Amino acid sequence: MSRMRLTQQEADPIGAITAAPLVVIGAVLAFGASVVLTYAHWSEVGSPLVALLGIVLVALAGLAAAISAAPSRAPFSAERLWLVVALAVGAAIAEYVSTIGADRYLYDDFGPIVIGMLILSLAPYCTWMSLILAGVLSAAVLSILVVGTATTTAIAPPLPALIAVNAAAVLAMSAAAAGYSFAIVDETLAWQREANRAALHRDADLRAGIARSVQQSRVSVLGREVLPFLAGVMTSDRISVADADRARELAEALRRALKAGIESTWLDDLAATVRMSRGIPVVIDDPVGAAADLAADQRSALTALLSWLSEGSHSSAIRVSIDGGGRRRRIDILAEPGASPPSRRELDRFAAVARAVSMRAEVAVTRDNVSVELSHVPD
Amino acid sequence: MQIADGPERRTTMTLGLPGHLARDSLSRALAHAGHCAAWVCLGIGAVVGVIGATIGGDPAGWVGAALTTLMAVLLVLVARYPTVTLTLVYLVVGTGTVLALAVLVMDPAYRFETTNNVILALPRIALILVGGAGTGSVLAITWATLGYGLGEAASFLGAALAGGDWAPNFAAATAFGIVVVVRAFDGLSRRSDSRRETGLHRASQQTRELVIRHDYELRATARLHDTALSHLVAIAAAGSGPVDQRLRDGIRQDLGLIVGRDWAIDHGQAVQSSGTGRGRDRGETATVASSADDTPTLETAFAAAANAGLAVRMTGDLGVLGALGPARAAALDAAVAQCLVNVARHADVAEAELALGLGDGEVTVAVMDSGVGFDEREVPEDRIGLRTSIRARIEQEGGTVRLWSTKGIGTTIVLTVPEGGE
Repeated sequence: MSRMRLTQQEADPIGAITAAPLVVIGAVLAFGASVVLTYAHWSEVGSPLVALLGIVLVALAGLAAAISAAPSRAPFSAERLWLVVALAVGAAIAEYVSTIGADRYLYDDFGPIVIGMLILSLAPYCTWMSLILAGVLSAAVLSILVVGTATTTAIAPPLPALIAVNAAAVLAMSAAAAGYSFAIVDETLAWQREANRAALHRDADLRAGIARSVQQSRVSVLGREVLPFLAGVMTSDRISVADADRARELAEALRRALKAGIESTWLDDLAATVRMSRGIPVVIDDPVGAAADLAADQRSALTALLSWLSEGSHSSAIRVSIDGGGRRRRIDILAEPGASPPSRRELDRFAAVARAVSMRAEVAVTRDNVSVELSHVPD
Repeated sequence: MQIADGPERRTTMTLGLPGHLARDSLSRALAHAGHCAAWVCLGIGAVVGVIGATIGGDPAGWVGAALTTLMAVLLVLVARYPTVTLTLVYLVVGTGTVLALAVLVMDPAYRFETTNNVILALPRIALILVGGAGTGSVLAITWATLGYGLGEAASFLGAALAGGDWAPNFAAATAFGIVVVVRAFDGLSRRSDSRRETGLHRASQQTRELVIRHDYELRATARLHDTALSHLVAIAAAGSGPVDQRLRDGIRQDLGLIVGRDWAIDHGQAVQSSGTGRGRDRGETATVASSADDTPTLETAFAAAANAGLAVRMTGDLGVLGALGPARAAALDAAVAQCLVNVARHADVAEAELALGLGDGEVTVAVMDSGVGFDEREVPEDRIGLRTSIRARIEQEGGTVRLWSTKGIGTTIVLTVPEGGE
């Protein structure tokens, strides 16, 4: 995928979850700045109601930013950025109207700072192009306002200089936001390319190793019974009744193994691995093998969740059921809490990762059980 | 039993950054963010300077534009080579710029009341956003603090020199505050190590392994199913009685195919080139029959192999034989047939591999087996059909025969004939 259309949230979901509190901090600081600066230039305010409206709009913009960046609402859509920017620009216009004709200093206007701060704090959730666009468009609106203010300012430099200076805060902060978004996506993709290359390299070794280790698995156990039996028949003169019965049994077992092999998926194998290595019962209820329809990154997200649930006494039993009917597949993960039950917050992290790979995710934690509901539409 | 392409062939994607890289990557990305903002500030500083010099007719504007441009160029170097030396050079030049601009701007003619003004804020913010050498939050905050402190000191000194009033710059303080908050937050949030806890990277590796393993298990089961099931069913159906000779031969052939080999691997390749197990011969016939009517085939060779009970795995396209005239193709076919007969007679294996290729105006067929092999010098004159049946035929068509054989490893014979011919 092109890095132009990727956000950090998509490329590195954990990074975006980690950054969520920063949006709240940014929103609070923006609100604080609007209150402090409005108080500082209160003498210039002609209509207090509109000034208050400006502050309320800043609060709304901050609220919209914080809510829409919350991990539970991932993935962040481009419309949310525009909502936040529109509210913040509205606040800047309200501030302009409240001090119209009396604004002595552009320097103590909160408009540019608030818009820039909110764009900056949303950097992990937007593409660098949309961040630049948001910055440039807001700067354009601010520039129109400056033309109206230019006649009243204490210092009267050439108008273009005033426009450039007034746009500095918004442009600088959106440049920072876009620079961050671009760099972190670039770094993440570079690492992923490297990791995938290494993984492909490793696959060759893995295949050889697995091919050998498969001979230790259930198939080869069966093989070790079937092959000596056939060799025995081949070298003997007669087939006994017991031989015929044994042949029937083995043929049946072989058919069952193949059927089970075809019907089982990687998820069954994961469950078997978890059962063996961690001693936690894991039941997979996937009658139509719908787990095979998950994309590679969706599998990784589910594997990470199941592995984490089975580690560190987070749960004592896990049940995964996949509803294969309908266009949207539902995956219910139900865990009985272990000695150190998972917190909602910890599970939200996995839910956010799942959302980053085009799945819907709901987490419910009660005293008796933990449930994560994932759903996706197969390609 | 044909197994469809395994799901591991889907594109794989590793999610996110691993914990050990997150620190450096985030640090670099934050530094880059700072640099972008700094370039915008310096760019606007330069633009304002040029506007002042041209529209405003104030020659001091040129000085401001030149100094901020110099800072921007130096910052490019710092971004490109984040060394301690370059960082220090940038801080020194930046401090000088702030000092010079403070002296210029605080001239009473500009009517700025204090140093808390937007013109001085621009280079000062760029000074704070130096990023600097090294990675990590503490180091980044240290460089930013230096930038902030030096800028404040320079504007204080500049104001004193120009006779203006000093006041802390609000915009610079805000920029410094943002840097500290973001860097501190980044440093603290990484302590919780949620990346390692989530184990995404490990999970994606595990998923790959599971998919590959599942695929192999299925192929191995299918292989066993294909080769052994018909025998088991035959034994069960026969009931008690003497062992049928055909059953005995069938079992012998299939056991030879399976036992003591990495049969899962072989099977994986075999399903793509031919039928398997008991259906192997039918698969081969189907391949031959599916070739276009007027394209030469290796019909004789496959028939000879089938007669000798030899399984043949083929890679490459039979269509390359279309580059040969019918007589030359027939000669090649006969030579390959003789090679396969030799494998069946002497190599002590039940399987041979054929590879077909076209290149440099030549058609090449390689016949490979992993049988007992031989030392060419020890081969009795009369035994191998190599001399007459193979070499003579191929050389008559202007081609070459090369042979490699190692005892215990196997034999490879490469037959090459030029394109065309009758």
